[in-house]
Amino acid sequence: MRSRTSRLGLLMISPALLLLAVFFFAPAVLTGVFSFTNMSSSTGITGGAWVITPNLLKLLPDRGVDASTIEALGVESYSVDEAGLAAARAAGVDEAFVDEIEARLAGRNYATDSDFLSALKDLGSRPRRIRDLKLAMEPFTRSILNVRFPGKAEARTAIEAVAPGIDETQLNTILAESYTGWVWTTDNFRTIASSAKTWRIILNTVFYVATTLTLFHLLLGLFLAVTTFYLPKKLGAVFTVIWLLPRLTPVVLYAIMWKWFTWDDGFLAILAAELGLPSFNYMKGSVPTAWTIVIAVNGFIGASFGMIIFSGAIRAIPMQQLWASEVDGASRWQQVRYIILPQLRWPILFVTSYQTLSLLTSYAEIWLTTNGGPGNTTTVWALDAFQTALLNYSGSLQYGLGAAMALVLVAIGLMLAIVYLRLFRFDELVARPKIEF
Amino acid sequence: MTILKKTTMLALAGMLLSGTALGAAAEDYTISVWAGGSGEESDYRVKAIEIAAEFYEREAAIRGEDVDITVETQLFSGWDDFKQAITLAAESGTAPNIIVSGHEDIGPWAQAGILRPVEDYVDFDAWPLNQLYDNLIKVSSYDGKIWGIPQDAESRVFFFWRHHLEAIGYSAEQIDALPQQVLDGEYTLYDMLDDVQKMQEAGLVDDAKGFMPRPSNGPDYWQFYQSFGGEMVDPLNGKLVFDKQALSDMYQFFVDAVDKGVVPATYLGGDWDSWHGAVASGKAGAWHGGTWHYAQWTKKNGLDDFFGNVTYTLIPAGNERGRANSITHPLVYLLSNTGTDDDAALSAELVTIASEPRINALHAVKSSHLAIGKEELNVPLYAESRWATEATENLLPYTNALPNSADFGTVWTAMYKGLEASWTGVSSVSDAVEAAEQEVVSALGDKVIIKEGGM
Repeated sequence: MRSRTSRLGLLMISPALLLLAVFFFAPAVLTGVFSFTNMSSSTGITGGAWVITPNLLKLLPDRGVDASTIEALGVESYSVDEAGLAAARAAGVDEAFVDEIEARLAGRNYATDSDFLSALKDLGSRPRRIRDLKLAMEPFTRSILNVRFPGKAEARTAIEAVAPGIDETQLNTILAESYTGWVWTTDNFRTIASSAKTWRIILNTVFYVATTLTLFHLLLGLFLAVTTFYLPKKLGAVFTVIWLLPRLTPVVLYAIMWKWFTWDDGFLAILAAELGLPSFNYMKGSVPTAWTIVIAVNGFIGASFGMIIFSGAIRAIPMQQLWASEVDGASRWQQVRYIILPQLRWPILFVTSYQTLSLLTSYAEIWLTTNGGPGNTTTVWALDAFQTALLNYSGSLQYGLGAAMALVLVAIGLMLAIVYLRLFRFDELVARPKIEF
Repeated sequence: MTILKKTTMLALAGMLLSGTALGAAAEDYTISVWAGGSGEESDYRVKAIEIAAEFYEREAAIRGEDVDITVETQLFSGWDDFKQAITLAAESGTAPNIIVSGHEDIGPWAQAGILRPVEDYVDFDAWPLNQLYDNLIKVSSYDGKIWGIPQDAESRVFFFWRHHLEAIGYSAEQIDALPQQVLDGEYTLYDMLDDVQKMQEAGLVDDAKGFMPRPSNGPDYWQFYQSFGGEMVDPLNGKLVFDKQALSDMYQFFVDAVDKGVVPATYLGGDWDSWHGAVASGKAGAWHGGTWHYAQWTKKNGLDDFFGNVTYTLIPAGNERGRANSITHPLVYLLSNTGTDDDAALSAELVTIASEPRINALHAVKSSHLAIGKEELNVPLYAESRWATEATENLLPYTNALPNSADFGTVWTAMYKGLEASWTGVSSVSDAVEAAEQEVVSALGDKVIIKEGGM
């Protein structure tokens, strides 16, 4: 018998659905959308404008635009003629000033703006503010260089005005090349596929996720859960709290503490010097130690997750089974192997799939400690996507390429989740019971 | 026939309206200014705007206008978060009215439309902008328009610890002659490596601490590219140049430095504070930095006698093909597209006032940057600073700047990634150069000229 969907229930859940849609689905969808664009901080996010600049004019011969058109586009002059004076009056330039311009400068042409400006500065009724003077110059300009046209139509009209009779294909070429905004493209994926560092980063990510997951999240988590189960209650609680501390500490503080521990004159370096071992910056000094630190930093945080989940699951095991095994003479290890571990199958599945996805997307600890270094030897995919999209000292922020990298991560995460659920036979867990009750 | 943009028309209308409103009520303005890469020593970058606002209010009062300007300032100590903050704020229209950033940001930001060209708001033939250095104005221009006003100048320098040089056999006269030798190309980067190796062998500096370059990415690394004959821009057509031979030689230089044991392979990514502490106390033999580090080392790191302990030169040439050089990375005052045209006009006037020689000298001397204009050399505060005058005379004439281009960032990122990869030994020099070339070509196509080796 299927249960009816309660209307009231839907109403109650709608705020949560709204939040889910806005903060969960919308970003994921937008990431997918942006990954097919070349959006960056040079193109801007909210569309672009059409602007013809001297650099663009140098580029146009290679794109098949003829020399006379390019020359016409590059014309720069100011002329004080009837049309200009009328435009100045219409635009609201001070009446007395326009009259004086007409009286003193009518019919003149100026090749550069500084010449025109010095001519205007000689007039007695000029406005005081430089900006007003510059605004007064605008109606007289004959140039479309460095003018930002907000729409394609305006740009087209302007180009046709200075270069009448221009060929249609050349006009379209110019319009395409002069657009500063982002365009739809699949180049991002091509760039990722053909980049030399992609393989290195994939290997780094796989190594990082596999090692941290197995060693710390699973093995250490299980170890902690089992040992705190067998310890006296109070002592177990103390150790549980201690192992929760990395997760509770603010991540920046935690990273700084690790830096103090491993840096050039930090605790490890001094200890190593005392013991006669190599004393150097353990965090960034060599690739193996950098990896050890990165895995340890993330692992100590992650172990607590497994510890809590597994602890809860172990306590759900009926005590009678353990008592019965003790009566039969089982050792602790036999209890763990034959009673506890088999009943932790679903928690292990949960921790594995949840933490795989969590590790795939984690980059904060790596960023704050080794920053992907030395070189890019500890850079993982999520860190690289973050740095590409949002943190680029020398280049512009490349939102499109970063989104493409994130999309790849989302796809891989989804695939892995499905694989895990199949592997651990999730459908069995949620199957309806075979008996009616 | 002219095209008058809608914004300009609105601005003119606004001007008319504000003209009628003038004198009727107090005008209140709030101008915000953010500066990147600025610590406490560089706070005059934003304080100069506060001083300018006070001046403007006084001048307005004399003219009979009642103007009240509130200046909101923010200093960012790093660059990454600052550039991120600016670009994202600009998208939402909340960028500060005045931005103080590196000139290399003009290209991408102008293209994205988040800047107003300062040329449309100020008169470069009037005081104080008419005495600014021409090359700085060129550095603040991009693609035919002047976008910003130079805020400061500096030069990136090579430093040696005098006492260590003396200890390995240099006489005082030889040390004093070193800058000229570097300039003439007689003392090269490899000579420097040999010298610091001797220092290490003599126990004057610890192992792998002889040569301490910059621990993170920066314009400085382009100097080494130029030291091996690389040009960043083709002077004929203004296109970006990717010189594979120069890049390869530059990467090889750092690999050789690691092989000689004067710098560790995992050096990049180190800590800046410990770097400053080490170079300012003689723990390094040779290093490179900037003219503004003088203020840091003398005030914060306890280097009392700079000239007695340190000697400075241009970055030496690397081989026959290259030249001694120095890169200058001026910061510029930029106007964002936030706010009304009146806000922008006022911001432009404040920036103009802040470029007065006496006001700019406050920043120049406090943070040991260099003058932006000829008259600033005559300001007493500047003239009595030995470092400021020496650096201006000996270094500034030989500097060049990074190109202003929306695409240069791609080349820069590729260059640095290749440098990291070859320096740490993760890939060979030729592989690193190939990978960098591939990245540049796939992103920029024919916008960049690839120069093969052997030229």
